[in-house]
Amino acid sequence: MEKRYKLWDLPTRLFHWLLVLCVVAAVVTGQIGGNLIDWHARIGIVIVGLIGFRLVWGLCGSTYARFAQFMPSPARIKAYLSGAWQGAGHNPLGALSVLGLLGLLTAQLLTGLFANDDIAFTGPLYALIDKDLSDRLAGLHRLGANLLFVLVGLHVAAIAFYGHVKKHNLVKPMVTGWAEGEAESARGGGLAAFLLAVAVAVLLVWGASGDWLPAPPPAPPASAAPAW
Amino acid sequence: MKTKLLIAALGFAIAGTASAQMKPEDAIKYRQAGYSFMSWNMGKLKGMLVDNPASYNKDQAAAAANAIAAIANSGMGALYVPGSDKGVGYKETRVKPELFTDKEGVGKVAIAFNKEANELAKVAAAGDAAALKAQFGKVGETCKGCHDKFRKDDK
Repeated sequence: MEKRYKLWDLPTRLFHWLLVLCVVAAVVTGQIGGNLIDWHARIGIVIVGLIGFRLVWGLCGSTYARFAQFMPSPARIKAYLSGAWQGAGHNPLGALSVLGLLGLLTAQLLTGLFANDDIAFTGPLYALIDKDLSDRLAGLHRLGANLLFVLVGLHVAAIAFYGHVKKHNLVKPMVTGWAEGEAESARGGGLAAFLLAVAVAVLLVWGASGDWLPAPPPAPPASAAPAW
Repeated sequence: MKTKLLIAALGFAIAGTASAQMKPEDAIKYRQAGYSFMSWNMGKLKGMLVDNPASYNKDQAAAAANAIAAIANSGMGALYVPGSDKGVGYKETRVKPELFTDKEGVGKVAIAFNKEANELAKVAAAGDAAALKAQFGKVGETCKGCHDKFRKDDK
């Protein structure tokens, strides 16, 4: 039997595939608009939780999920490109892609929560800023969506390249958690770390939902509206 | 007195013909006012149909839908006069230059919007909140159709 090691822990894998699902749904609902824009906002709030979870998991998750383990440096990227890099987990280029995607999605969340579409939609935290700033953030949000297509395209193309040209299947470990080869299995990321990351995620979801904002005064009853 | 009035009226009429071409900044203002007023009415509909369905009121919904349809039918295309591709109305216009060149494309999104806005008024008059919510979404999609194609992002 071939050697194998534990690469991606279950929370990292769940995060990854839930994020795929949510990002696809967010893109579709955002592009169609109409009444689906409200679903776009709900999905965005779920993604706040997912990204929040991943950021904490990157500090206290298991070995290969930690940012410190794969933080790319110019020296490591150079070593990787010259074929000298040895290691498991995210390679230095892949790490750039991971950090780029996490960073861009975070920017999409921060802009989207405050955005408006000049139709009938305002983000859940729109009330905290003025319209001009919201308009600019909405513009950045649309720009970010285009960037996201590029980064996701690169991400998928790189995986296809590794699979077909380098005969290195990156998808399977993200499904099963196990990678072939010789390296130390991932350790750490126990129940306490998981609960901490979930707690932070829940807190962020609550913050993003805007439920803590003072409720706007209820609309006056129809009979109270002036007849003109 | 009557003659004076007549001369004054005549004067206005002549001035009116001479300035048949609206000033670009005025055209931009009318445009922005029209979209902004529709947005107020879209907001009212959203409030009754999505945010707080308990506040749905048939007459108010119909009034809001009629206002949107009326503005849609007012011929706002006439406000895109030459020279109004740039300029400041209530604020700087965000229209893309393509709106002035891609006549066919503009016609398509504008007619799609008018059709859905008129349908909105019809559905609102019938008084079925669920049907109105669906039609409200369709109108929003056609607003977005033009925003995506012919409106620049704020910098």
